[in-house]
Amino acid sequence: MKRPIAGAALAALTAVFAVAASAQDTIRVGAPLPMTGPLSPEAVKQQRGYNLWAETANAAGGVKVGAKRMKVEIVYVDYQSNTPRAVQAAEKLITQDKVSFLFSPFGSGATKAASGVSEKYGVPTLAATASSAQVYDQGYKYLFGTFTPNDTLTEPLSDIVRKAAPGVHRVAILARNDLFPLAIAQEMEKSAKKRGMSVVYFEKYAIGTLDHASALTQIKAQAPHWIFATGYTNDLVLMRKQMADLKLEAPVITMIAAPAYQEWIDATGKLSENVTSAAWWHPAVRYKGKDLFGSTESFVKRFQAKYKTLPDYAEASAAAAGAILQMAIEKAGTIDPAKVRNALASFNETTFWGPVKFGPTGQIVSLEPPVFQIQGGKPTVIHPAAIRQGELRLGVK
Amino acid sequence: MLVLQVLANGLILGGLYACIAAGFSLVWGVLNIINILHGSFIVLGGYLAFFAYSIAGIHPFASILIAAPLFFALGYALQAGLINRMIAAPVLLTLSLTFGLDLMLANGMLVAFSADFRKIILDPPLGVLSVGPLVVPVDRLTAMILALALTGLLYLLLARSRIGRAIVAVRMDREAAALMGVNVKRIYAVTFGLGSLMAGASGALLAMIFPISPLVGPAYLGKAFVICVLGGLGSVPGAMIGGLALGVVESFGALWLGPEYAVPLSFTLLILVLIVRPSGLLGKRGYE
Repeated sequence: MKRPIAGAALAALTAVFAVAASAQDTIRVGAPLPMTGPLSPEAVKQQRGYNLWAETANAAGGVKVGAKRMKVEIVYVDYQSNTPRAVQAAEKLITQDKVSFLFSPFGSGATKAASGVSEKYGVPTLAATASSAQVYDQGYKYLFGTFTPNDTLTEPLSDIVRKAAPGVHRVAILARNDLFPLAIAQEMEKSAKKRGMSVVYFEKYAIGTLDHASALTQIKAQAPHWIFATGYTNDLVLMRKQMADLKLEAPVITMIAAPAYQEWIDATGKLSENVTSAAWWHPAVRYKGKDLFGSTESFVKRFQAKYKTLPDYAEASAAAAGAILQMAIEKAGTIDPAKVRNALASFNETTFWGPVKFGPTGQIVSLEPPVFQIQGGKPTVIHPAAIRQGELRLGVK
Repeated sequence: MLVLQVLANGLILGGLYACIAAGFSLVWGVLNIINILHGSFIVLGGYLAFFAYSIAGIHPFASILIAAPLFFALGYALQAGLINRMIAAPVLLTLSLTFGLDLMLANGMLVAFSADFRKIILDPPLGVLSVGPLVVPVDRLTAMILALALTGLLYLLLARSRIGRAIVAVRMDREAAALMGVNVKRIYAVTFGLGSLMAGASGALLAMIFPISPLVGPAYLGKAFVICVLGGLGSVPGAMIGGLALGVVESFGALWLGPEYAVPLSFTLLILVLIVRPSGLLGKRGYE
């Protein structure tokens, strides 16, 4: 009976020493992610971005901290697509796994929920997938986000539609009742009204809805010119199919956030044609960054070499969060949380992701998100002018 | 006109729901097993149809013929080899067993197929049927008819065939059936096999309609629960009526109260039925 206990004690002791030893020469970054449950495809994307950053940084010898170089280690915890568990996971990462920095859980809702924990412990936190202003208006000092506010997506989109199709003035909005999808739908309502368009339908649908036929039937009865639908991949695959099932057509159909993902295009097939969307980044943008990836082209090349596919904005944002954290640590010359936090607050550099400068709330203010349309089965950038690949096409059938 | 279109939408949705619930109801009613695996079996059937179509070009309607025997065998083996060992245990234990198996299956599918959402896109698409101002998608309509036909076949099997009568006998009184010479364990395995067959077949049908991902099983399972309680346990016509009722209620709920209330409404209905008529619309009193 004694031996297994002694053995276990020895193992535990070695583990403690191992942690103590590694704590000195690695930077531990915690990442609570929805690795299982309905949001798991998003977790895969986040992981790809974080892992690419960590591998690239470590291959170059690690992050420069003062005179020495420290390797990066990302500690993942699965929160099962369950927001309260994301908060627990963040707390566990900080108190038990002793991470020095945190990458937020997925999306605006979970990021907001978990940001209270990192604020309490003073752990600098980078949010790679939270855009809603409501996440950043809590007066927190340790939260920094790589997505611009939602209206930076709906404003240029509305301008483009207004210019290309002055006849478009009846707008129908159908939103997933979830923090980000609802917040951006509300911004869309404002953007539309500001331009004199009338919002003829605005409804929310519950998370987990398996049928949109009733809502779409009502929308069809309103004969809108522009249908603006929000949700995640599964919602918008189903909704696009049901639109076709009900012969619901319109000059403009915009969906956010799925069409930037190849899997959405694959799962909707020809129905994806001419659907418009906007995102915070696109592989076609061109920036010369001072981060470890350098230019956007070289980031895309590295990503493709590792994953055999083009990066989308969520994957790029995760890698950018790592790159920004690294630059802030190198600038601070230490991993002291308060000093790295100050380096982030005064951050003003160009990266492969774009120019990065955080506003007083911690949310990035320097990006110009691209607007795109699926043309010939591919996302085609229609705004901003500098990287335009095509013009807006009207008519979605 | 709006109301008619919504009614048509609801009935078609309800037909699909009936198909989701029939096998689940049978297993619950006859075996007194709450088969948590049911949702994941539907998903697995969806993947089978997806790969059959994308690799071999087999139409999802045809792939039912492949899914049916495969899933029957799978269910039979599972019941005979594993679940029968603890069939006499309290219902919570068999629930835990199927819950555990479900976790294994769902995560196995996650590893095998990745978490991406996929969908069968028929080329050329089946299109829509216009009846006056009403539009009805042909794929949903056909899936609904097939689903109801499958459910009807299951009903006939239970009502007319020797093995079906044995299943019903076991459901009514296990001991008495055993005394009459019915091999109860075999009947259990056949019933579980039939339940799995229904799950696999409906998965093949649903793959044209809903996006498939390894973890959407619980969404189907939730619907199956509501439908069984609505329609009455173990009764095939009950599952059919329950499914249709749920489809119509959800559709009109979404129309009148707004789409965000469609899901909460179905669970409110569940609680109401439990209070007012605990045995369900077509269930028999005193039989759990």
